[in-house]
Amino acid sequence: MGKVNGDKMLVNEIKAGNQIAFETMVIKYQPKLLSSLISYTKSIEQAEDLCQKTFIRVWQKINTFRGESALFTWIYRIAINLAKNEFSSSYAKASKKTDSLDDMDYEMPSFTSPEADLIGSQLADKIHSYIQNLDIDIKTAFTLREIDGRSYEEIARIMECPIGTVRSRIFRARQLIVEFINKENI
Amino acid sequence: MNNKLEKLSALYDGEVSDNEFNEALDDLKLNSHSKDIFKQFALISEVMQRKSLENKSKLSNIFSITSKINPIFTNVLTAAATVLITTFTLYQIDDDRFAVSKESTLQLSSALSSDEAKNQLINSDQNIVEHMIHIMQSNQPHDSDMVLDDWIPVGFQPVKNKPHQFTNGQNNLYLHIENKQLGIKKVKYYKANQNWIYLIPLKDGRLLTAYGDVPPEIAKRMIYSINNRK
Repeated sequence: MGKVNGDKMLVNEIKAGNQIAFETMVIKYQPKLLSSLISYTKSIEQAEDLCQKTFIRVWQKINTFRGESALFTWIYRIAINLAKNEFSSSYAKASKKTDSLDDMDYEMPSFTSPEADLIGSQLADKIHSYIQNLDIDIKTAFTLREIDGRSYEEIARIMECPIGTVRSRIFRARQLIVEFINKENI
Repeated sequence: MNNKLEKLSALYDGEVSDNEFNEALDDLKLNSHSKDIFKQFALISEVMQRKSLENKSKLSNIFSITSKINPIFTNVLTAAATVLITTFTLYQIDDDRFAVSKESTLQLSSALSSDEAKNQLINSDQNIVEHMIHIMQSNQPHDSDMVLDDWIPVGFQPVKNKPHQFTNGQNNLYLHIENKQLGIKKVKYYKANQNWIYLIPLKDGRLLTAYGDVPPEIAKRMIYSINNRK
């Protein structure tokens, strides 16, 4: 229980060719990457395009990832390099030269437009407001995890409770937020 | 079901054992509902972190704006005043940063405990930051006898039943006195959205903290008066 491994196991599985592990990684980081790329490109369309190409590149290059940086840092670096290449020449022209989906026998999981919209919309404020009203222990554990990036063990020390309780509180926060999102049709 | 989803939540955080990892991956592979939930975890995480980034960008804006008007400050205030830009707005939850609720106070503490947040303390002293947090958290009114008349800017009057608060009908000023100076030898001040925070070392070794929507043009008289008080 509560073994801290970050993305190590995920990376090992992806390196071993496990597609569900790869898909899990894509699901985990796609919103974050997309959001970053929207900020970078100022274009949702370009960001989505780059996002997809980035993950294809990640799949192709995962064996070169040595774990010296956080996985997302490495992914983001790939994305920015791709973006620079795209912008250094005509975007349309460049897009023909870059990777195609045919390069891999895998259907890229994607976030639908409403979800992409969520990333850039004021609805995020609704969710954030909802989080403020969560039970204080649940909110604290969740915030320490999501904002501060603390491990479960660190949170357990801070909150003076067992790691299992931390895990339950973080899950409970996510569960409540998911219920709120579904209830509000966000 | 909850046990499965809790496992997914832990997987998302990279906090699962080998067995749980494999079980969670199997669940994602076989169960589209689990995959949808996992997607939502990722979206929620992004929303949380983006909110945090928005606050950081507020800091950047403050930094940018304050840097631009910095030369004006130098002219407006006495030479004793120096400008220090801090991350206070980073932790601002509400428009009114001085009405820190218990909840936002916790966020404040939480945010400050992170290395990332600490790294963003630009040219600021941790003691000063903690002092400001202490003031914002404090709901204790201060003895009006401790406030000398010549500290109050011209046109400001005490607010009834709020001895630490003064107003000119348009702007509000709050005063807080501490028996420590935190190493502050010169007046330091901060801008946080529409509010200003002035840290004024007193000659008797105490520190007067004045805060509110009182701009330097008004506060400078108070600072000048305190600096020249015998």
